[in-house]
Amino acid sequence: MATTEADQRKTKQESFELGAFSSKLSKSDFQELLLQLYLARYFDVRLIKEKKRGRLTGTLYSSHNQEAIIVGSLFGLKPTDWISPIHRDMPAFFMKDFRAGWRNPDRMGMSVGTVCAQVWGRVDSPGRARDNWSHIGSSAKRIIHSTSMLAGTIPAAAGVVYADRLDGGDAVVLTYNGEGSTAQGVFHEAVNFAAVHKLPVVTIIENNQWAYGTPTYLEFSMDDFARRADGYGIPGLVADGQNVLDVYDKVMEAVAWARSGKGPSIVECKTFRAYGHGDHDDDRAAKYRPKEEVDEGRARDPIAVMKRIMVAEGHMTQKEAANWVAEGKGASEVSNDDFPPEVVQYLSEGIEFAVNSPLPEAEEGGMWVYREDN
Amino acid sequence: MSVAEPGLKKNYLTGLKEAIFEEFESDPNVIAIGEDIGFLGGAFGVTEGLKEKFGPDRVIDAPISEAAIVGVACGMCLNGKKAMVEMQFIDFISTGFDQIVNMTATYHYRTAGEVAINMVIRGPAGGYGGGALYHSQMNEAWFANSPGLKIVCPSTPADAKGLLKAAFRDPNPVMVYEMKELYRQNKISEVLKANDEALVPLGKGVVRREGEDVTIVTYGNNVYHCLQAADNLMSEGFSAEVIDIRSLVPLDEDIILESLKKTNRLVVVNEAPMTCGFAGEIVARMSDRAFDLLDAPPVRVTRLDTPVPWVKPLESFVLPSVNKITEAALRVCRY
Ligand SMILES: Cc1ncc(C[n+]2csc(CCOP(=O)(O)OP(=O)(O)O)c2C)c(N)n1
Ligand SMILES: [Mg+2]
Repeated sequence: MATTEADQRKTKQESFELGAFSSKLSKSDFQELLLQLYLARYFDVRLIKEKKRGRLTGTLYSSHNQEAIIVGSLFGLKPTDWISPIHRDMPAFFMKDFRAGWRNPDRMGMSVGTVCAQVWGRVDSPGRARDNWSHIGSSAKRIIHSTSMLAGTIPAAAGVVYADRLDGGDAVVLTYNGEGSTAQGVFHEAVNFAAVHKLPVVTIIENNQWAYGTPTYLEFSMDDFARRADGYGIPGLVADGQNVLDVYDKVMEAVAWARSGKGPSIVECKTFRAYGHGDHDDDRAAKYRPKEEVDEGRARDPIAVMKRIMVAEGHMTQKEAANWVAEGKGASEVSNDDFPPEVVQYLSEGIEFAVNSPLPEAEEGGMWVYREDN
Repeated sequence: MSVAEPGLKKNYLTGLKEAIFEEFESDPNVIAIGEDIGFLGGAFGVTEGLKEKFGPDRVIDAPISEAAIVGVACGMCLNGKKAMVEMQFIDFISTGFDQIVNMTATYHYRTAGEVAINMVIRGPAGGYGGGALYHSQMNEAWFANSPGLKIVCPSTPADAKGLLKAAFRDPNPVMVYEMKELYRQNKISEVLKANDEALVPLGKGVVRREGEDVTIVTYGNNVYHCLQAADNLMSEGFSAEVIDIRSLVPLDEDIILESLKKTNRLVVVNEAPMTCGFAGEIVARMSDRAFDLLDAPPVRVTRLDTPVPWVKPLESFVLPSVNKITEAALRVCRY
């Protein structure tokens, strides 16, 4: 059926063999991964709908078309591992340690309700709504507190695993970074530090081809950013960011390397930013990015890619694959009926919790500048 | 774009744009460097159309590297260019800090006058927009404390244009704190002059409202809060003089001093944190120069010594407001 050039390219890119780690996954693992892709996508489109409906203010940074990176990288982590997500990875805050059970309050990830409370700017947010969007964290859950300063938290990531190693632990940290943020001086300083100290820091590059309004070729001058690793004397891997299993394989390879004491690595996940930098930029992005480039970049929706592989592996029938067609659709084109009901239910509970959470008291604006109790 | 159309009222952002286009037009050595300033035209659109008009050699889309941006601009100035650096938000200037305070600001001093760095560093600043910790800052005190830099903060479209043009023409590094909440406030739009007529000199304040009983000194967005507070004071029977200093470094001390001779009372308002902020500097200088004139202790109305929090009740709690200014001025008047 692959007749057009684009179709042929699509099929070619997908001639996929399971890797060392994904080949050991069970049918239910495959099903769980697909469900998580749906959940990450649903989080994205539901927030856009909430905002359009006027129930939500603040800028949204969409991970649409990039969900396989979040889901695939988190899937094989131990509960004791750390992550350091950025603005593009909002679902990671509640999807960490999902293996322990989505609704398990003791798992090493935030509850979806507290993450929603953060999005809504309510007092039950992990940061009591003092800073916005992804600028939350939890040392108890081993999630590094994100800030606006791009690449600014990689040194802290190196620091937490350094301390962990001194304490006899074997924790690995995943840092998430846009390809644009790699141009920060502090990125170099932190990766270099991790390299010379052989720290278990896996630097994931979400190469979505754009950094706000600047194309990748004006951020760095190489085809595969992963090759930058050569300069630090560390491994550099390239993953197909549309394929959750390839992301899982490459990140697990890097994690195994790190956990065995060999040190840091870079995993470049190739993907494409589906919309504007944030939703405030959607209209302008439609002008500064050619339509053909956007269509091409969105041609391989991670949900569709996973379905095709599951059919090929015999984990799903064609008929089952036709259920819940969320793939290839924007927020205005999908409805709840395009998603598995458990996904809709899960996030709706979180949003319900958030909208019932109050604003913080005004006086909190003056509190916690210093710790007062010692 | 480059020539101001007569009779048409323009907003603050247009004032900045006209300044940049005119300076680019009149001096081929002027270049611009920053994040997303070319293809996108800047996060707020201040440089929209600049790259199309003057080309990618003069309008440089830089990687997200504030230290490199300032350092490259400094080297270009060393070799005869006039560089305009755009910080996407003034909050992010911290990652370029070393290149500003140690490299650029000291050049003239350490070369014993051989080199001067003709650089403009400008960017959107200030709170009141729900921008949260990293998109609301006023960090001018960091740089007021670094000799070698000049600092301005315009509050009107004409000053935005005139001070930015003056900054381009000053041979020293000049920092322009732009009030992003005023960018598109059309109610302050006004007719703008063109070319040399539009220039507003660095280091000259302006009286925004005349009064007899108390002098309120301020700059930036707070000018409008102070003018409203002056209305409130009027209904309490006190007339306030509101001074917009516009330039922090150099500071027009005389305009404040002249006012104090009349009012004998001083309130200073800004939206930076109080400790080591520029409001304290103004109070200290007036204590030096006008102690005998003062009939009441001078008072500062500033941000609390906190970061700027995100959601409205928190943000309003920490920032100066019309009420806070009115109350402070009443205390000073009734002392
Ligand atoms: C130090 C710093 N400079 C500039 C910005 C403004 N900014 C926020 S996100 C962004 C683009 C980031 O692009 P990339 O790293 O590729 O991540 P993406 O948004 O594409 O996921 C910019 C310029 C910032 N947050 N921090
Ligand atoms: Mg990017």
